[in-house]
Amino acid sequence: MTAKSYETIDVGARIDGPSFAVSRESIRLFCDGSLDYNPLHLDDDYMKNSFGKTNFGGIIMHGMNNFGLITRMLTDWAEPLGATHRRLETRWLKPVRPGDTIRPSGTIKHKTKSTKARWMLIDVVVSNQDGMAVAVGEALVEFPAAA
Amino acid sequence: MAQADLGADFETDFWKDAASRKIWDDIVPGEPRKTLPYVLTLEAIQLYCRSVGETNPLYFDEAYAKTSRWGGLIAPPSIHILLMFACTPTDDWMRSPGTINAGQSWSYNIPARPGDTIRLEARALDKFIRKDRLFVVHDNVFFNQNNQVICSGRGQTIRPM
Repeated sequence: MTAKSYETIDVGARIDGPSFAVSRESIRLFCDGSLDYNPLHLDDDYMKNSFGKTNFGGIIMHGMNNFGLITRMLTDWAEPLGATHRRLETRWLKPVRPGDTIRPSGTIKHKTKSTKARWMLIDVVVSNQDGMAVAVGEALVEFPAAA
Repeated sequence: MAQADLGADFETDFWKDAASRKIWDDIVPGEPRKTLPYVLTLEAIQLYCRSVGETNPLYFDEAYAKTSRWGGLIAPPSIHILLMFACTPTDDWMRSPGTINAGQSWSYNIPARPGDTIRLEARALDKFIRKDRLFVVHDNVFFNQNNQVICSGRGQTIRPM
């Protein structure tokens, strides 16, 4: 079953994650869940300041909330295949604000084998309700060697 | 003595110890960060899970998790997001207000589990300036009570001026 999955999932196949509605409440819950209480995510008055040349205009979602949504998507995809989410690298492209709805997705980019396992390299992106990428990255999922 | 149940005791006002935290100029690449062992509770795992909408029974349903290849409840890979703050003291520079995360990469070895005593080894690895912005590269490894690596990761933050 597992061996077949690796062989039958082709480069170009898509992985779709669930959409996530960002609100002041979701950001506050992420503060409590992650213990990251940086005022960037809590304090509108503070966010009237400029950060270098950037003014966010109000509180923003934690960048790592994107990261958590991507690992959620990849783990939920890999587990039923007997595969394991092994690595994720991300960059943030745009701030995410209350009222946005974001959704992670992935595309199988490459398949390769090492001495002891088989791997899928996956391009990942988190897009907002306008279809704009807010975060991009690359992930590795490990499949057991063929029996 | 490991910390546990940080929910009630955790200092959520990141301004409070701001003056005691290292600024970019004072951060020495290679120098270890002060860290604290932390007992990861099921409650902390599930609160984190709820904050990103996790529903996988591996994190919530013990009977199901016992039948899985993991043999019991586990934490999701991205639990390191919580562990970064749970395993560091209030004067750690990762808490400096205005710290902007510019991206991270993490490698996952084995899952963290409820009841694990987690230890962090962390340091700044590098610092640089780009487009007038002050960057620090941080480098972290989380271990369980058996000295097994849970995950390791690296990230870049833009430091507040």
